[in-house]
Order: sequence, then C-alpha cells, then structure tokens
Amino acid sequence: MALVGELAVSESAIAVSGLTRRFGTTTALASVSVSMPRGAVYGLVGANGAGKTTLIKHILGLLRAERGSVRVFGLDPVVDPVAVLSRIGYLSEENDLPGWMRVHELLRYTRAFYAGWDEAYAEELRQQFALDRSATIKNLSKGQKARAGLLIALAHRPELLVLDEPSSGLDPIVRRDILGAVIRTIADEGRTVLFSSHLLDEVEQVADHVIMIHQGTIVLSAPLNDLKESHRVDGRIPSLEEIFVAHVGIPAASASEE
Amino acid sequence: MILATIKLLIPGPSLTFNMDSAERFGVVVMGPLTATFTYFLAVFSFGLSGDLAARQSMYPARMFTLPVTTAALAGWPMLYGSAAMVILWLATRLFAVWPSGVDVPLMWPALLAAALLAWTQALTWMPYALPGLRVIVTVLWLAVIDSVALVAVQYKAPEPVMLAGLAPQVPLAFLVARYAVGRARRGDVPDWRGPFVRRRVADAPDRRDRFPSPGRAQAWFEWRRHGRSLPAWVGLLLPFELSLLFITGNTPALVFVILLGVLLTPPVMATFAAATVPRSNPAVGDSYGLTPFIATRPLTSAALIAATLKATIWSTVAAWMLVLGAIPLALRWSGTWSVVVEQMRQAAVHIGTPRVVVIVLLIVSGFIAATWKQLVQSLYIGLTGRAWLIKGSVFLTLTFLFLLGPIVQFIIDHRDVQGALWDALPSILALLVCVKMSAAAWIAARLYRSRLLSDRTLISGAACWCVAVLALYGLLAWFLSTPFFPRYVLALVAILAIPLARLSAAPLALAWNRHR
Repeated sequence: MALVGELAVSESAIAVSGLTRRFGTTTALASVSVSMPRGAVYGLVGANGAGKTTLIKHILGLLRAERGSVRVFGLDPVVDPVAVLSRIGYLSEENDLPGWMRVHELLRYTRAFYAGWDEAYAEELRQQFALDRSATIKNLSKGQKARAGLLIALAHRPELLVLDEPSSGLDPIVRRDILGAVIRTIADEGRTVLFSSHLLDEVEQVADHVIMIHQGTIVLSAPLNDLKESHRVDGRIPSLEEIFVAHVGIPAASASEE
Repeated sequence: MILATIKLLIPGPSLTFNMDSAERFGVVVMGPLTATFTYFLAVFSFGLSGDLAARQSMYPARMFTLPVTTAALAGWPMLYGSAAMVILWLATRLFAVWPSGVDVPLMWPALLAAALLAWTQALTWMPYALPGLRVIVTVLWLAVIDSVALVAVQYKAPEPVMLAGLAPQVPLAFLVARYAVGRARRGDVPDWRGPFVRRRVADAPDRRDRFPSPGRAQAWFEWRRHGRSLPAWVGLLLPFELSLLFITGNTPALVFVILLGVLLTPPVMATFAAATVPRSNPAVGDSYGLTPFIATRPLTSAALIAATLKATIWSTVAAWMLVLGAIPLALRWSGTWSVVVEQMRQAAVHIGTPRVVVIVLLIVSGFIAATWKQLVQSLYIGLTGRAWLIKGSVFLTLTFLFLLGPIVQFIIDHRDVQGALWDALPSILALLVCVKMSAAAWIAARLYRSRLLSDRTLISGAACWCVAVLALYGLLAWFLSTPFFPRYVLALVAILAIPLARLSAAPLALAWNRHR
C-alpha cells in the first residue's frame, strides 16, 4: 500500500493515513492508510462490520479521526465541511431521506446547496426513475427511496460519488439503475466513485480498483485487473469472490451473515 | 419523595409549609401539575415524534409489525397513560392533604385527566382526510369535554355525578383508538384533497422560486420539520383556556388570571416544543443523533444553527399571532371586554395612558421573548445528540419544577429568610453573572479555536449582546426608577436576562454531534 505523500494528497480525491477508530473496546479501524487518485471507481468490499461504513463516515466528516488523518480533495472534512461536502454526492445505506417531504420538495431543497445542480439532468433522472413529483417520500417503496436518494446524489454532478451499500436489500432493477449511475458518473472526466458493498459480483462489474477491508484493516488494495492477474491459478482468472475468500478465509456473503 | 425530603430534611421538623388555603395550594401545584399533565399528553399520544398536521396517524408505524392485536396496540399506551394521569392527581391530592390540609376532590379530576388523555390519544392516532384536520377535531372534542366538566363544576355537581359522567369516557375513547389504530395499521388513509391538487403539483415544474440561499433552504426545512409544533400546541390549548372566560362572569381578578394563563401558554408550551427542535429524524433508531442526510448538507455547523434559530423565530411569531388574535375575540364574545377596558381605564387614571400602553407592550414583548428563549435555550443540550445528556437534563428540569413551588412558598412564609435573601441579592446576582461570563468566555475561546464561527461573527455577536444588555438596562433604569433597586443590580439583571452562554454553546454542541 502506498504511503500518502504530499504529491499524492494534492492529486488524490481521498487520502487516508494511519486512521484508527475505536468504539468502546471494539477497534473499528486499525491504522488504515489508503489513497484514491481521481478519475476511477473504487470498490470497497468487506463483510458487514468490517469497517466500510466507518471509513466512509470519516471521509464524509461524520466521524472525527481519533488518530491519523483524512483528506478529501486535500481538505479535512471535519474542519471544512462545506468545501468538501459540496463536491460529494452521497447515498446512504440507511435511507434517511425526510419522510414528510414530497419528491419535488426534496429536489427544490437539495438544489439550493449545490451551485452545479443540473436541472435538466435532475429531471431526466426523475423521469428515468419514474418518481412522481407529488409523491411523499415515506410512501415510496424501498427501491424508489433509493432512486430518490441517488437522484439527489447525482444531479449536482459531484466530483466524488460515495455510495455506501447502495444496493443492499434492493431488487435487481434498482441495482441496475445504481450501477448505471456509477458508469455514467465515471463517464464524466475526472469523476471519482467510492462504492462499498459486500455483493462482490456488483463491485466486479464496475470497479477499477478494489479495496478489501476485514476487521478494521485493509487486507488488499489494488487495481481489479492487476488483482485478477496476480491471483491467476492454472491460467484461470478467479472471481473477486474467490480472491476475497483467499485473503479473508470465508466468502463475503457468509461473513456478512455472521 | 421529593416533597417528603423537603418537608423532613431541609426546613426541619420545626418548620412547616403554611399552605392552609386553596389559593396558596393552587399557586404551588399549578406549575408542576400543568407541566407534567402536558408532558404526559405529549408522551403518551406519541406527540413528541409525530406530525400533528399530517393526514397519517401519529401512532408510530414501526409498532404495527409487532405480533399483537390492534386492541393491544391501542390499549397498552392508553392504560399506561391513564394510570400515569391517575397517579399524578393522587400525588397532587396527597400533597393537598399533607401538609396543606386543603380539601380537594379525590377521583373525578383524575378521571377527567385520564379522559382528556385517552381522547387525545384516540383522535391523534386517527388517520384524517385532510392535513391539519387532526388539530381541529381534537381541539373541538376536548373543548367539549372540558366545557361540560367546567359547567358541572360551576353548578357544584357532586362527585358521584362527575364520576358517572366521566367514567364512560376512557372506554369510549379506547373503542375509537382501536378503530383508529386498526385503520392506520391497514394503511387506510382517506384523501379528500381531490385529484386536482395532486395534478397541479405533478404538472407544475416548480410553483415557487428557488431558495435564495442554502441557509434559507435549511430554515424552510427546520420550519417544516419542527416549526409548526408550537403554534399547533398553542392552538390546541387556547380554546380550553379562553373558554374559561365564558364562566367567570365579570370578576376582574379571574379574567386577568385567565389572561395571564393564556399569555403563559406559549412560553410553557415552548418548553415542550424545544424538546423536538434538535431531533433531526425521530423515525430513525438514534433519533437524538444527527442523520447523515442533515449531517452531509454542505453547510457549516453555524449555518445549521442559524437556520434552526430562524425557524424558532417563525414558530414564535406564528404562536403569538394565534394568541393575540384569539384573545380579543374571546373577550368580545364572552362579554368580558368591558372588564378589561375598565381596568385599563382605571390604570390610565393613576399612571397615565402612555405608561399603561408601554407596560402592556412590555409585558407582551417579554412573553414573546420568553417564548423564543424557551425554544432556543436548551439547544446546547439537545443538539449534542447524546441521549443520556438530554434525558438527564429533562429529569433535572422536572425535579427543579417540582422543587420550585414549595421552595417559593417556604420563602414567602418566612420573613427572616426573605430578609436574608434580599440582603444577599446583589451578591447572588453577581455570583450568577460571574458564572455566566466565565462560561461565555470559555465557550468563546472554544469557538475561536475550533473555527466554528468566524472572527467577524464572534465580534458581531458579542457587540449585539452588549447592545441588547445596554438597551434592557436603560429600559429597567427608566421603568424601575426607585431607591429599592440600585442601578448596579439592574445592570446585573440585564446581563443575566439576555441569552449568551447557552446560545453560544449550540454550535459547539452541534459540531460534537455532527463530527463524532
């Protein structure tokens, strides 16, 4: 894993160095260091409880680094939340959109925060996701809520898109929408996507670079193609699931259920 | 237990509370009884976490999936609530008998409280066809029950008659509640808004302009989420209070006591509304913590606080528009307008019309300021997002409320204590000012070091506070021009009255919550 130097900080979308976090006696992150240059899709994989969400919360500034440092676009997200968050689109695992809002109110409210809000793109996404403008958020299905969350995460064309277990518990059609959004986002030059999931086949479809996290430590961080090449067995390229098992010892899905 | 402690330990066995009249007893118990009754109404109807104005039931949807019958879902909160109300009254009555010796009814007030709570639960859990209909229906129905009870009291109905009238209320309310929860559980929410409303929303690209700034958008969010609670609760209580004007006749003292109660309603209700203001999403598990949706808004913590403060101002203004609109109407319709006018005329004869006008304006302004202060002064606790801190603070506040009445009565009854307190008043005020200014200095240093507020904002805030203190001091010096109050005491009072430390701590609390 590369050390984070001054040059890397300035060129990286995300630079985490020596990050440690404890919750009581549990160590959620143990001296995690990772650098994510701009313009790629990063798949953050690991079982439930591995530390994916904790790492993402540090990147968003929702958790303060107890030890180590976190820089997003070279800035500390806790010290300068406006400069960081205005460049990030975030879809949360726990869909916490305000249930009392209507879809059109959500759009009107959200666009006030982003100078780069693209009205036409927002409307295009709304129609594509079949979201009724007058629908109340709490009356939407889980998949529709995820689509609404994705819409507001994408419509300001963020430099960094952070998706925390976005397809957890969703049907294949919604998962397809999410993956499609990831692909569209990277199509824009210089955009970066951080995509956390324990569904490794999804990550395999879109990620350029895979970061495996297990029990609060990063066990592997490499470009997906390099990873596959380096794990080639008898000429056969293994799946990401097989690579995960080789490093963690158990499949991601079964680890998630533990 | 608290009262027993005061009685036995603090004054000692030789000193007694002298509350041998119903009026004194009423003064002592009114505060804690009203506060606890209102708190029970809000808690047992799930009013602290629901939206009064919404069409959907206020019963928490997460409980619909519990493997119990609808009757159990409706029945248990009603049972607990009724029991709490009965215990509240019995404790109050115990206090009336010991140590006061005042004779008050045993059961019917407890049943009335239980009935009011049961109907509040039933009617707030009912899904409605129109937004806001819940408030109207609940207010009207509770006003009917309250009025009937008051008329019975007016005609000195004996306790068995009162009991006979009130006893069926709780079972009847239970039947309505079971029906309401059943409908809510099935997702049966009628809609009378008409298809044209939905079509208009769907077709129009955006009926209103964009928000001019992120701060305005956030203020709108806070208003929609929390701002309507206070006006709704005040609107709920006003009809009961003002209906008393219809049975007081033309007794000036009673009319003014009722008006005082009405004026006190917004500040008192603001205490409860304040509990909901810092909660970002009561529907999620950690309802005290900031949800990621809010925490990831690209706004500074100071801007988030500013939006909350704006919404509390709008909330205060809305609540007071209701009060100031309803009072003249109620005075007119009840025929007590002339009583108030006559009292004002007499006051004008003694102290002059301009002074009467200024006094009335000052009283109303003071109540309005107190309402806003109640809404914001506990933000520094609520915004921390720590349940233990918030619940501990509520417990301490309720304990303080319970202690306040007996302590005040004890002071009133003992002239030597009054004398000692009067002599020590400047020292007490000076000590409080020292505590306040020390806390403010510490908070300012933390704000400066954490860069949560810019230097300009810090200096502007301090300057505004100084101006407010000077203005209040000038007002007090003009109004209380008497040798009984030295000028420096007025200055200390002005410093203590204008919020500083707790309000300044709100950004720190939010940052502690937002960046855990």
